[in-house]
Amino acid sequence: MSAPEIVFENVSKFYGDVLGVNRVDLRIPPGLTSIVGPNGAGKSTLMNLMCGLIYPDRGEIRVLGIPPRDTERLMRITGYATQFDAAPRWATGFDFVVSSLLLFGYSATLAERLAWAALERVGMTEAAHRKVSAYSKGMRQRVRLAQAIAHDPQVLVLDEPLNGLDPVVRAETIALFRQLAAEGRHVIVSSHVLHEVDSISDRVVLLANGSVIAEGDIRGVREEIREHPSQYVVRCADPPRLAALLFERAPVTEVRALEEDGALLVLTRDRRAFSRVLTALAAGGLAIESVVPADENVNAVYEYLIGGGA
Amino acid sequence: MAIYKRGYQRYDGPRASRAARLAVLVRDAWRRATAQRLVTVLLAASCLWPLLCAFFIYIANHAELWAGMDRSFASILSIDHQFMLTFMKVQAVFSVILAALAGPGLVSPDLANQGLPLYFSRPISRFDYVFARLASLAGLLSLVTWIPGLVLFLMQVSMAQPGWLAANWRLGLGLAAGFWLWIAMVGLVAVACSAYVRWRLIAGALVLGYFFVLSGIGAVINGIFRVEWGDLINPLRASYGVWCALLGAPMPSGLTLPMSLAALALMGALLALVVERRLRPVEVVS
Repeated sequence: MSAPEIVFENVSKFYGDVLGVNRVDLRIPPGLTSIVGPNGAGKSTLMNLMCGLIYPDRGEIRVLGIPPRDTERLMRITGYATQFDAAPRWATGFDFVVSSLLLFGYSATLAERLAWAALERVGMTEAAHRKVSAYSKGMRQRVRLAQAIAHDPQVLVLDEPLNGLDPVVRAETIALFRQLAAEGRHVIVSSHVLHEVDSISDRVVLLANGSVIAEGDIRGVREEIREHPSQYVVRCADPPRLAALLFERAPVTEVRALEEDGALLVLTRDRRAFSRVLTALAAGGLAIESVVPADENVNAVYEYLIGGGA
Repeated sequence: MAIYKRGYQRYDGPRASRAARLAVLVRDAWRRATAQRLVTVLLAASCLWPLLCAFFIYIANHAELWAGMDRSFASILSIDHQFMLTFMKVQAVFSVILAALAGPGLVSPDLANQGLPLYFSRPISRFDYVFARLASLAGLLSLVTWIPGLVLFLMQVSMAQPGWLAANWRLGLGLAAGFWLWIAMVGLVAVACSAYVRWRLIAGALVLGYFFVLSGIGAVINGIFRVEWGDLINPLRASYGVWCALLGAPMPSGLTLPMSLAALALMGALLALVVERRLRPVEVVS
């Protein structure tokens, strides 16, 4: 039985003098994981390393117990979609997916059946027999996704898979990622668009300059950053009174009225105490409509961690 | 009521062998190469010389057709190593042009598309990829080299006097071996140029340049330094040296078989190095 995690142990990769990733220690469990970072942070290097497309200069990688140099076994359990528009223009989407399956050693009949199923999953059956050159950017993105999932891999590595998708297809694709993750697979997506990973991931890996600067679920990562007060937007019927009460009873560092009617931005260093006070106030009859964390998102966390480097 | 746990289950049925997977790559490359109209035109054009040679063999083996001619004409109509070498030289030129047309389409588009990671994220190696490209190109080049060559040889065998084969078997064997050596060289040049340049047109020009510029440089070296080893950097000339040895013809002046083989081996090694350096799963821009 192979280990159910993707493990990086002190992994470094350099391209000559150029840093790819440096001393990465990481364990990725099944589920939907986003690798986030600005361009050049090392996202693609990390993905290429786990797909066995490149090998580390130092350290060790195991993908569900398989070392990347064991390509024959590794490639069978991984599905990879590059960030580049790499689908061959001269082939039809269907032929492209079938060819990729034939390279895995499936019979022609089975390859055609699996290709059709994959194209169905990404909503590309109608355009399956059109040439890739006639596809829109979003369609080419989806056909790349289809070739990555067609052989039913246990580990899906998708480099910037949401680029070029329109909002409807994006939502469908995210739903597909969730479904694949719910089936017990490792779905690893990269993105430099910080706000989009919030909505899709179980956990995030934040990269900057080739190093992992944080990992875990966003809330957990946010809690670890103690030097920055947590921010909440609190909506209530009587904001001035709430502000006065919070200053009096809760460990808040700042309370600011927002332009929106009845909304306050509250900054606190002690989330639990703040939560207790707020609960007590609500129980005491103060009409509090909502409390929403304002900085439990990747953007804010990233900004705190690397000072707005994203 | 039974409750079934629905989760991920990997396919564990039978899979095709490595050779069958390689064949997928070869077929794909073959389709791409033969889809070009110019390649078809050139293939047709390259049949002209073998047809002329076939006519020549027919004439040579029907003495009644030239019974009235003098003795010198009879000596021209001889199917020997010189005839085969001439045939090989002409077809070698056709094969270079064919490689310049078809070869760049095999790798350059994958490089331009950044498609190599897609190939190498399958259970195939870089060696498999290059081998498949070379194999499809070898198939194409075979159509203009050893296949028509052996057809001519067999035609001569069938028309010649009994005993001709026993005296000349080396011609057929040498022709096939010589052409395979040539195909390997031309294929490597085409793949290396295709891997070196993303643009098909320029890669094609580079293939032609490799053969014709090197032959020019060889001639210049010979002319300036009054030597003969300049021929060694001319791939056609170096190959010609090997062909002569294989067919049992006298070696060209200034060339020996070891020198020719060493020159070709060095060229092959350099070309393989270019392919190895350029065909990486992930392109790194530093």
